[in-house]
Amino acid sequence: MPVPFEALIPYAIMIGMFGVSGAGLSLLRNYTNDWKRPRRSLDQWDRVMMDRDARLTGSLRGQSANPRAPPGFELSSTWKIEERII
Amino acid sequence: FHQTVLVDKTPLPDSIPKVSEVGATSAPLMSVSFFIGDRCAPYNDDYMLCKHEAGGKGEMECLKEGRRVTRCAISVVDDINKHCLNEFRAHWECLDNNNQQLWNCRKEEKPLNDCVFKSLGLRKIIPDTPKGRVPIHEQAFQRFK
Repeated sequence: MPVPFEALIPYAIMIGMFGVSGAGLSLLRNYTNDWKRPRRSLDQWDRVMMDRDARLTGSLRGQSANPRAPPGFELSSTWKIEERII
Repeated sequence: FHQTVLVDKTPLPDSIPKVSEVGATSAPLMSVSFFIGDRCAPYNDDYMLCKHEAGGKGEMECLKEGRRVTRCAISVVDDINKHCLNEFRAHWECLDNNNQQLWNCRKEEKPLNDCVFKSLGLRKIIPDTPKGRVPIHEQAFQRFK
């Protein structure tokens, strides 16, 4: 007796939907991390260092091994401020 | 929280000698950190002593020691780029892939340590290891890989 493939179509749809969304999310995660493995357990030190990397190279995961920073680097550090109304 | 960011573009006055900043980002800096510690220990200790004597507030008084620290760190990164470029690049790319944890990259660390010791004489020493105990980066058995 042949397999009733019409009955399995909903399962194929479900698997397909889960698969597509999972693959899309994984692609997005890899793309935002410059195709490297993502960082985990970041503390304040790591976040400040990644900020500095972004100032030096332009992306949070970009790395460079130059001994000297480009000339505008000393003046590009950010201070976080909170605007007060009163 | 509403937060904005302030970028202060006024440069330092000309009376202060200009020193370029260290251009290495987090992974190469982590890789080279112990060698900076080996070569620059006197300058780093000077700077920390100056800040300690000023009660943690001596930004203007400790500028000279700070310039020395920066120049020394730049020299270490420069030398390692000149002599050991391939091992250095392998090590920091491995670190970048592995969450900047040194225990993940012992295989690349050994050739880098050997190359740096042979060409620059700098050795990675972990301060405050108890006597008679093999440092973790030289142990043959690795519990976590």
